Amino acid sequence: MPATSLLIYVGGRLVQAVPILFIIILINFGLIHAAPGDPVDFLIGATEATPEYIESLRREFGLDQPLWVQLVTYLGKIAQFDLGYSLRFREPVLSLILGRMPATLLLMGTALLLSSLVGVLLGVIAARRPYSAGDYAATFVSLAGYSMPVFWLGQIMLIVFALQLAWFPTQGMYSLRAPSQGWGRVLDAAHHLVLPALTYSFYHLALIYRLTRVKMQEVMALDFVTTARAKGVAEGRVIYRHALPNAILPVVTVVGLNFGFMLAGSVLTETVFAWPGMGRLLYEAIGARDYPVLMGLFTVLSVMVICANVVTDVVYALIDPRVVYR
Amino acid sequence: MTACIRALALTFAVLAALAADISPAGSQSAPKRGGSLIIALENEPSSLAPHLTTDTPTFMVVDNIYNALVLLDENLQPKPDLAQSWTVSPDGRVYTFELVRNAKWHDGKPVTAADVEFTFNELIARNHPRAGTWWPNVESAKATDTYTFEFRLKEPYVPFLTMLGSVLSSSALIMPKHIYEGKDAKTNSANQAPIGSGPFKFVRWQRGSFIELARNDQYWKPDKPYLDRVVLQVMPDAAARFLAFERGEVDFLHWYIVPYDQLAKLRKDKRFDLVEKGDAAATNGLLLINHRHAALKDQKVRQALAYAINREIISEKALFGESKVARSHVSSNVRWAFTPEFDYKFDPALANKLLDEAGFPKAGDGKRFALRLFWAAGRDYEGRGAEIIKDNLRDVGIDVTVQTFDRPSFTDRVYRQWDFDLAMQLFTTGPDPTISVNARYHTKQILKVPFVNAMGYSNPATDALFDNEFKESNTAKRKEMWRDIQKQLMTDLPALPLFELPPIHAVSAKFKDVVTGPQGYIEGRESAYEAR
Repeated sequence: MPATSLLIYVGGRLVQAVPILFIIILINFGLIHAAPGDPVDFLIGATEATPEYIESLRREFGLDQPLWVQLVTYLGKIAQFDLGYSLRFREPVLSLILGRMPATLLLMGTALLLSSLVGVLLGVIAARRPYSAGDYAATFVSLAGYSMPVFWLGQIMLIVFALQLAWFPTQGMYSLRAPSQGWGRVLDAAHHLVLPALTYSFYHLALIYRLTRVKMQEVMALDFVTTARAKGVAEGRVIYRHALPNAILPVVTVVGLNFGFMLAGSVLTETVFAWPGMGRLLYEAIGARDYPVLMGLFTVLSVMVICANVVTDVVYALIDPRVVYR
Repeated sequence: MTACIRALALTFAVLAALAADISPAGSQSAPKRGGSLIIALENEPSSLAPHLTTDTPTFMVVDNIYNALVLLDENLQPKPDLAQSWTVSPDGRVYTFELVRNAKWHDGKPVTAADVEFTFNELIARNHPRAGTWWPNVESAKATDTYTFEFRLKEPYVPFLTMLGSVLSSSALIMPKHIYEGKDAKTNSANQAPIGSGPFKFVRWQRGSFIELARNDQYWKPDKPYLDRVVLQVMPDAAARFLAFERGEVDFLHWYIVPYDQLAKLRKDKRFDLVEKGDAAATNGLLLINHRHAALKDQKVRQALAYAINREIISEKALFGESKVARSHVSSNVRWAFTPEFDYKFDPALANKLLDEAGFPKAGDGKRFALRLFWAAGRDYEGRGAEIIKDNLRDVGIDVTVQTFDRPSFTDRVYRQWDFDLAMQLFTTGPDPTISVNARYHTKQILKVPFVNAMGYSNPATDALFDNEFKESNTAKRKEMWRDIQKQLMTDLPALPLFELPPIHAVSAKFKDVVTGPQGYIEGRESAYEAR
């Protein structure tokens, strides 16, 4: 497929994304403001303020304006890539979000990679010998992973691997007792990453494993696989060169879709492990009803999901010669 | 499920304790320099700007960076910090403070009365959430010479120094004029990277993760501080936070985040100390009663609730026996004012009798009327308490539905819409009851504003006492007035005091003097040291 048509396709998809984003912002704005609670309450804290003080806060943040005025003001700012000012931190929302993004991308990227690779591998192995003891074991583990709530699994991981075995730290991204520099710091972060990344990948591992297994079984029963075997092609080559490329396409779609779910799931994992990412920022913004941060996060997440979908489509084109973009 | 996790955690912890029970007996020695104290924060501080907030995590950080004018001693009386001495005029309206001469900001400039004047007039009066409750009574606040500062009040306010010493109430931490002058106090970059005069200097704030402070080698108090570093780590999940404490990754859990169900276990573990120090906030857990409700507006019905609810059981089961029953609207920690003499005994028979007399007889199904009881998710002991109250009230024919909300929704429902019957709420009652109690129950505080009189309670007799007690400089007379206030409140029951929040902090046994005073959970750690 020529590269130019792909570029045109990607450009078209991104243009289409603008009205989608607009609608997403409208819906988010409505939902966030429909939730009970007042951001001013968090700013006051657990104390008794005067009504005059509360009014002055409302004026400061434009919360005294009618809702539609607030919406128009917000849309005007968004058009200039300005996500506004956090009520709680009194800092620009964009810098808050960008500050938290690397930690989330590191955790999510590791988990996505881990769950996709291991999931596909296990799926293929299970499909080679369906209904064997190994297949049943893998199915059991993956079902367990799929049905365990992330925060509960996280607690168990902490109790077993951090408290009892003491292999990994429980909280945060860096060791605070003895801070290290350079490569030591990278290793330190990797050490802290293991438990949250494992916890985080478990659910998706199950999803990808199950899908790969089913698709592989389907493909393995098709005529061209029989033909390949009849020609005397080695079994490994039959699986990895003939069958897997055909079975992997729906898996790619699910990995792409998972991206969005993983962003949402980061709230729980990051909270349990005190991982300083966007999920925690979201969690705290909900508790404080920090409207600009909530809106900013949802907008940034929407953009990321839209981008992930476009990337998924491009990957599709690269691995499936039948796909042509017009 | 949490019970399951707890059981597992407990099992492992017991094993760990058995394996590690060979620690040497603690040897008390003179404080030495060095060491890093790691403190758990339950939330990311909103800023490091005390003039903007009443946020506990913020004060846990900035109390290390800034000095107060005065602090509080064990008896909740003022003690020197930046002010080395002070005088009060005979009419109780003029407070004159003499500042220390050797205090310096972290950038080397001297701390003077001009900084104090600027802090109160330009930062606190204009920005702090609580300033509106006391600043209107200030006639002037000014520097009279380089190291002398003077407050003039419009009318006497006896707990004035106690309020200044309670930095959560007053935000009276002195801030640098040369950093804040001429700039927007709300967006100044020092709000995230403060320059103070205190024992520790700000090093960095890794967003979402931790705040690091380092020893101030030029600190104006001799020999202090002892620690090299204080690190405050944000740990939002309660169970994981406790695991980190058990593993020794964090050294200090303050009293709002200590898990009461684990304290019995910690007491037996030599690796940890439990510090039970006076609690300046003197916080009570209360059951708010909405006086607008058709049944609850009757005093007899409210008193029936007080007789029907078994508060001993709440302390025993909901707070695992760690708390005392609250016997008044002032906590027993405020020793001079507290009186238990107007408390109610658990007496369901009397409750039934009062409800019958009030005109709410039991219907055919044994029920008199229905009530909704709200609590905000986050403090699990409030939830357990609510369930106990539901059981107790069912026994006297009141049908209670317990409902839980997230904190912002709860605040909205209870304090802005007044749409509740009963609600679980923590209220401070200290360090002086004037500061904490008057604002909750005064008629003029029936406002759609958080943490004031959402109950709609109004009694002119109580109001009159509230309006005059803080002008009474004779301690014995003032104590008598507070006795009358408590008698009135316990008779009228705008809220039923349930339990006193236990002031217990958990500290790693490696560190000493982490908590030294009545504001232990937020105090600066200038006296803390590592025992080696």
